[in-house]
Amino acid sequence: MLCDYQNTTFEVKDARPEIAVLPIAATEQHGSHLPVGTMSVVLEAIARRVAEGLSGNVYLLPTMPLGTSGLHRGTAGTIALEWSTLMDVVCDLIESLLAQGIRKVVVIDGLGGASETTVRPRENYIVKTAVRQMNYDHPELDAIWVQPFTVSGADIAEIFQSAETDFHAGEVVTSVMLCLAPEAVKGSGQDFVPQVGKEYLDFVRFRELCPSGVWGRPTLASAEKGERALEAAVRRTVEYIEESFAHLARMKSRVYD
Amino acid sequence: MMDMWNTSLEIAEAKPGIAVFGIGAVEQHSIHLPLGTDWLGVCAVTERVARDLDAFLVPALPFSMSQCQGPMAGTVWLKPKTLAAVVKDVALSLYAQGFRKVLIVNGHGGNFVLEAAIRQFNLGYPDLIVIMPPDFLPGPDDPKILDKGVGIHASEGETSTQLFINGEHVKEARVDYMPPVGREFLDYAFIGYISEKGVWGYPSLGTSEKGERLINYQVKRIVEWARETFDRAENLRAS
Repeated sequence: MLCDYQNTTFEVKDARPEIAVLPIAATEQHGSHLPVGTMSVVLEAIARRVAEGLSGNVYLLPTMPLGTSGLHRGTAGTIALEWSTLMDVVCDLIESLLAQGIRKVVVIDGLGGASETTVRPRENYIVKTAVRQMNYDHPELDAIWVQPFTVSGADIAEIFQSAETDFHAGEVVTSVMLCLAPEAVKGSGQDFVPQVGKEYLDFVRFRELCPSGVWGRPTLASAEKGERALEAAVRRTVEYIEESFAHLARMKSRVYD
Repeated sequence: MMDMWNTSLEIAEAKPGIAVFGIGAVEQHSIHLPLGTDWLGVCAVTERVARDLDAFLVPALPFSMSQCQGPMAGTVWLKPKTLAAVVKDVALSLYAQGFRKVLIVNGHGGNFVLEAAIRQFNLGYPDLIVIMPPDFLPGPDDPKILDKGVGIHASEGETSTQLFINGEHVKEARVDYMPPVGREFLDYAFIGYISEKGVWGYPSLGTSEKGERLINYQVKRIVEWARETFDRAENLRAS
């Protein structure tokens, strides 16, 4: 069963959710063709389907619409939290869930992508550190973070021609937006793939690297690919979460001498 | 008006002069109102305010200082320093893209850190004006809409507003309760100790019709106050 912000406190109390799902998005420039709220729109759709797909009672929180978008700071519509702010937000929310007895927390942290791994998040990178710290501070807690297009990377690479060079406002997210909110997509965007590695995002502003605000090939997008990507992302995210909690339950039941 | 559904380019071309940022909360609202009451309420108000001011609407923050409602199920909170940091980052992100006027609309009564946060900006940035209406809901100067006043929590005002904007999620059952203490007791004890069902006021008096009048009145009042205050602050600083 799924509870969310439309339920009363007493309904949530009776449902006794064991898992909370917290989506963390961002509000930032997405090229000339996608709205600044793109990540919130996509993540909200994925998070709700994931929460519905998990077994057991789940409490789905509203999507946090602001993240660490410092790379895009200064461009119209971009709202950038400092890493320390987002870390505090995630820690406060996890601790408030723990205070009401919810000990399993899944942070769906941005979208990720086929060229990423589950070791290091693409967007909102500080969420990893926050989750790790919460698990240190609260031994009774099982908090995990996951990025939907990273755990479904194999499927994404099959569906999308440009999956390996798709970093921002590219073929993947444009396709998903064409599927979820086609009226919000303005034209086909401008393809651009810089000839450097993504570590350059640690050194220069996004616009200095990608003048059109895009890193990828949005002109290849289609609603049909978007729908397949959503289905794969939801399925693989649910599997990743259930496998991870099963591993944690097994590991934490070990007794050491 | 511009919002999260616009592209960065559209926002850059429209050059809105004012940005509006609403602060919501996810916290217990007794037996009849949804947890998201404050967030949904502030979204409804800020959307209308931003439209009237032709402003850029920043997506509202769903979470804020709700620890006094915890640990009642579903309640989540930010600590005071966290909320102040979010407001600071939002205001400075807006400043970095050229905004000089920011209107904060507070949808949750317990966010007492906001005043300190806002004052700090206005003292620290001579060309940035950040304002917040002193009282989110109509005060005793407008007794015509509500019979017993806004109340403190999940009361006549909030129940009416939710019935208007989110009626299908408001439950029929209501508990009216006025604790025998002042609101400062939320500084001393969780709400569950003060009021068993998490209510403070008279939700049974809430109606959708009152909610509609309340929202319209709030929006009108915030828009007028914001225009006047931005102008005055600008003139005062220029003098």
